Amino acid sequence: MPRISPSALRQARAISPLLPQLLRPCRELQSAQNELRWLREHAVKVASTKQWPQWHSYLQVLCRKRGKGVPLQYLLGSEYFGDLEIICKPGVLIPRPETAASVTFLVERLTEKGHQLPGELRVLDLCTGTGCIPLLFRHEFSRRSSTRLRLMGVDISRAAVELALQNQGRLETPPRVYTAFSFHQADVLSPNLSNPSASCPPLFEVLNDQGHMQWDILISNPPYISPQSFFRDTARSVRNFEPHLALVPPSSPIVPDEEKGDPFYPRLLEIAEKLNVKVVLFEVADLQQADRVAEMAQRGGIWKGIEIWRDEPSAPSHQNETGHVQFPTLGRGNGRSVFCWRDAAKSWLGAAARAA
Amino acid sequence: MFRTSWACRTCLYRLPRQVVWRQLRFQSTTSAGNISPALIARARSMTSEHSQLSKQLADAFESKTAKKIGELTPVVSALKDWDKANESLRELKTLIDDPSTDKELRDLATEDIEQSKGQLSRASQILASSLIPKHPFADLPCFLEVRPGIGGGEAAIFAGDLVKMFQAYCSKNGLNVAILKLETADGTSNLSLSGAGLTEAILEIDSPGAYGIFSCEAGVHRVQRVPATETKGRTHTSAASVIVLPSFPANGSEELDFNDPNSDFFVDPKDVRVDVMRASGAGGQHVNKTESAVRLTHIPTNTVAASQEQRSQARNKEQAWTMLRARIAQARREAREEEMVRLRRSVVGVAKTGRQDKIRTYNWNQQRVTDHRSGLSVHDLDDVIEGGDTLEKVMASVRAWMVDQEILGLVAEVESQK
Repeated sequence: MPRISPSALRQARAISPLLPQLLRPCRELQSAQNELRWLREHAVKVASTKQWPQWHSYLQVLCRKRGKGVPLQYLLGSEYFGDLEIICKPGVLIPRPETAASVTFLVERLTEKGHQLPGELRVLDLCTGTGCIPLLFRHEFSRRSSTRLRLMGVDISRAAVELALQNQGRLETPPRVYTAFSFHQADVLSPNLSNPSASCPPLFEVLNDQGHMQWDILISNPPYISPQSFFRDTARSVRNFEPHLALVPPSSPIVPDEEKGDPFYPRLLEIAEKLNVKVVLFEVADLQQADRVAEMAQRGGIWKGIEIWRDEPSAPSHQNETGHVQFPTLGRGNGRSVFCWRDAAKSWLGAAARAA
Repeated sequence: MFRTSWACRTCLYRLPRQVVWRQLRFQSTTSAGNISPALIARARSMTSEHSQLSKQLADAFESKTAKKIGELTPVVSALKDWDKANESLRELKTLIDDPSTDKELRDLATEDIEQSKGQLSRASQILASSLIPKHPFADLPCFLEVRPGIGGGEAAIFAGDLVKMFQAYCSKNGLNVAILKLETADGTSNLSLSGAGLTEAILEIDSPGAYGIFSCEAGVHRVQRVPATETKGRTHTSAASVIVLPSFPANGSEELDFNDPNSDFFVDPKDVRVDVMRASGAGGQHVNKTESAVRLTHIPTNTVAASQEQRSQARNKEQAWTMLRARIAQARREAREEEMVRLRRSVVGVAKTGRQDKIRTYNWNQQRVTDHRSGLSVHDLDDVIEGGDTLEKVMASVRAWMVDQEILGLVAEVESQK
């Protein structure tokens, strides 16, 4: 990472003495100024509720923490995910804007004019974290359609499920639009792989207990960073402060390095088949992983259509960005998610299914 | 004469100028018997476009296409008439030129040829005027501003006469007229009670199409009479200026309707590029950028609006849209106001309120009204001043003259494009 030039530091100090330490994680003066403004607003708010005597001393504490790399979202306690403000706490992955773009695009595809949706749409989100994906799905979907929803979020982490429940309580809407909405603690990977948290029940056990073995849509943002990439590519604030559990999947040492980020996807596809899921949306790290996951899905043979979505799937795609990938690729930016649908979901997706 | 020891050279030079065309009055009306080939070519291309669009419309109805066809139809029918007139004239000519034609038939043809020529010139005129695009403001209501020019108190009185004339014209033609502002020299605001004349009057003619009717009145009106203020019986020449401006519909609540394409605030989302500042490199779980800035670029006008105030990207986008809409609306309004200023300047230039820049003369001694653009003189001054049919006649002649001018401009434009 290049060193911040002394002139930039001088410039920052001239604006505010707190700014140089924010420059370290932000790298740019403009975004450092934005962060300082948000931190100041937060400090004033906290001080006004008497949780801290003086707002500027609190601001200094916040800036020092931020300078060491603590994610801004943990300091402020929330992050915006689409239109929603989601509570964030250390130990649970912070929602990313790219995920929000994919989820919104999925809802747009489902609710386009003339699409026939079933009377009730059942949506399962695995590795839900803060619960942001089902919450945003409900928010966007209920604005566009009157179809009823059954939503469930699953995570292996106790802290994540608690936070998701807290977020659900904060963003509660009248229950008109969904019949059920719950979060459960369950292990998605077992029984295939051994994992340290044996205290957590396997996914199918939980689903069986709940009596819901049939689902329509499976969404997942699983850990997908390989150990090598974790040390090489991740930002310092991610590596040092976000949960390793949510970022790097457990992998056996025999697979090649670049495929060490993949172990969740075969399992997710297997779950999708068992639960009779019609549409899946998996977030991935980049175009190469998207390609690998899409090939896995193709080998499964039950998927009628397989697409790769980029960071901004709704944007018109550039010609030069398509090419070496053999699957239809939508949007602009990095490869972000893999989207597959079965023949039964053809009428839900309308025009999209015709195009494929 | 040559015995004169000297003659002033300046006087010698001036000698011929005394006979200069003082008594001659030029008419600027053109008799458009012949139409420029450039215009014909233009009409032909419009006709082919018309038939193409008609075919399109037969396949699928689209209101835009239908509107365009409606605009082109007068040109098409005018061109058809012109072709027909041309054809019959040519036939007659061949008949006359043909030596085998017997004498009786030839006489008949010679008689007919005059009639056909008349038909052709009429068809040409209709064709030319149908080619002129309609003035964009012609359908709008208008403001009429009257101010006295050179001539002191007499000019003020004449300006008052003009206001009364326009009011009478409007009431006779069923146009709604309201006085927005009326100031007289002695401070009263009632024209008929004030003997001192007018300093400024603004009338609003609140009927659609008023701008098209009154745009020919803009300019300096000259009066020649023995004023009421004159004690020695001399004839004075004074002037009053008239400004005509289109009145745009008030933009009240309707401005806020973003989806109405006629609103200033309407921005087609297709014309806008959305730039979201995203993490470069891997993205996703690898990084945790807090940047939420959104930049919108309106491509046709290159207007940019950006927002980074909020932590929520969705809210930043909303803010940026609001800003972009306001900016584009502002630019549109400015363009419209600039057009108004241009109109105002072209009507009455800064130094163009003198007697010599008149568009029309009202001569009381001769009971005559002459319009200097169309060259029409009428001798029923009282009827004109009372806003009667004679005024309508004068105004109609000016409108015809303006059409002719437009045709000349159009020909020049089409020919310069070649």
